[in-house]
Amino acid sequence: MTMDTKPIPKINEDSRPFWEGCKAHELRFQKCNKCGHVRWPPAIICPECHAKDTTWITAAGHGRVYTYVVYHVAYHPGFKGELPYVVAIVELPEGPRIFTNIIGCGTDEVYCDMEVEVVWDDVTVELTLPKFRPVR
Amino acid sequence: MMTMLMTLGQDEEAFGHFGATGSYALAAQRAMHEFNTGPETWKHIAVGQRKWANLNPVAMTYNRNMTYDDYMNARWLVEPFRLFDNCLVSDGGRAYIVTTAERARDLKQDPVLIAGLGQHNPAGYPQSATYLAGPTGAKVAGEAAFRMADITRDDIDACQIYDCFTYTVEITLQDYGFFKPGEGADWFQGGTIEPGGRMPVNTSGGQLSEAYFMGLTPITEGVMQLMGRCGERQLGPQTGTKEPEIILCSDNGGILQCNTTIILRRA
Repeated sequence: MTMDTKPIPKINEDSRPFWEGCKAHELRFQKCNKCGHVRWPPAIICPECHAKDTTWITAAGHGRVYTYVVYHVAYHPGFKGELPYVVAIVELPEGPRIFTNIIGCGTDEVYCDMEVEVVWDDVTVELTLPKFRPVR
Repeated sequence: MMTMLMTLGQDEEAFGHFGATGSYALAAQRAMHEFNTGPETWKHIAVGQRKWANLNPVAMTYNRNMTYDDYMNARWLVEPFRLFDNCLVSDGGRAYIVTTAERARDLKQDPVLIAGLGQHNPAGYPQSATYLAGPTGAKVAGEAAFRMADITRDDIDACQIYDCFTYTVEITLQDYGFFKPGEGADWFQGGTIEPGGRMPVNTSGGQLSEAYFMGLTPITEGVMQLMGRCGERQLGPQTGTKEPEIILCSDNGGILQCNTTIILRRA
């Protein structure tokens, strides 16, 4: 990896189903079979009730911006060409809050609680990133 | 530095999210949505602490004044944080010695007593936290420390608050109960935390304006002030402040996930 190549997720056995889901353009999360909590990040036990038994569910792909920031500095050379860009935590109605980018609008148009929907960024054949855009 | 940024992260680097500035900025943005805060509050923290640093010859910014305009005109790093919302990057060291009160009586320097301690760590990952706009760990940790020291907030003469960012100072003091959510906008006005102010905060300049030594910047300053070893910035008549008997110090880790509160008392 050269320094100006963007970092990619460190996919492990816990998170592989999520990233496989992204390749299929589906947002997949673990739902606890005991207490029903839908968790993120992926883990072998439920952070709420510590049960191990889970089912992977597919989220609808809508959410709202819980919070966001606008990067004006590239802390990694791979993002120099993107400035300024928005990093957000999007809250999904299914429960999880995930890191993502808000695209498809100006950086000054984003606000907390804005309604957004997933848009798929097929970076390579092996990697798709879930990003979000305003619901029009 | 790059290694540190990369190991701090999970998968969020893929979205261009790195290090602490972005994560604290996410917390600050949510706070701006939930209560009245933002740069108009934070400028008082940046400028107020700089005034203390201007009295501290070892501070990195000793000879550099800062006005409200300097703060507002500085460049964005990760919005809503401008340059002067961020702490300094420093090389150096700090140390303090912890021993029993009995042993300390025989030492050359007058000791300072640890009167109260509290710790609270409310969550693991910032994205799964529900407290990004507070209360942070400071609320429960602070209550425990006050209880152990058998004091109330009104007994505090000065605060040394872990200040990785301006907002961290606001949310920590808010969670200790010095003001209600959003009332910091008024509380900080009129030089409250500055030399001559009614509640001096980060009297060395803190990590924003003296030097970044993690939790040791606030604690060592609290100890030195109670020992009376702070020269031109010494709390008391010469800086138009109360002579300190009790100083509250905080440390904070993760992205507002962990807080330790220490109450120091003159021996």
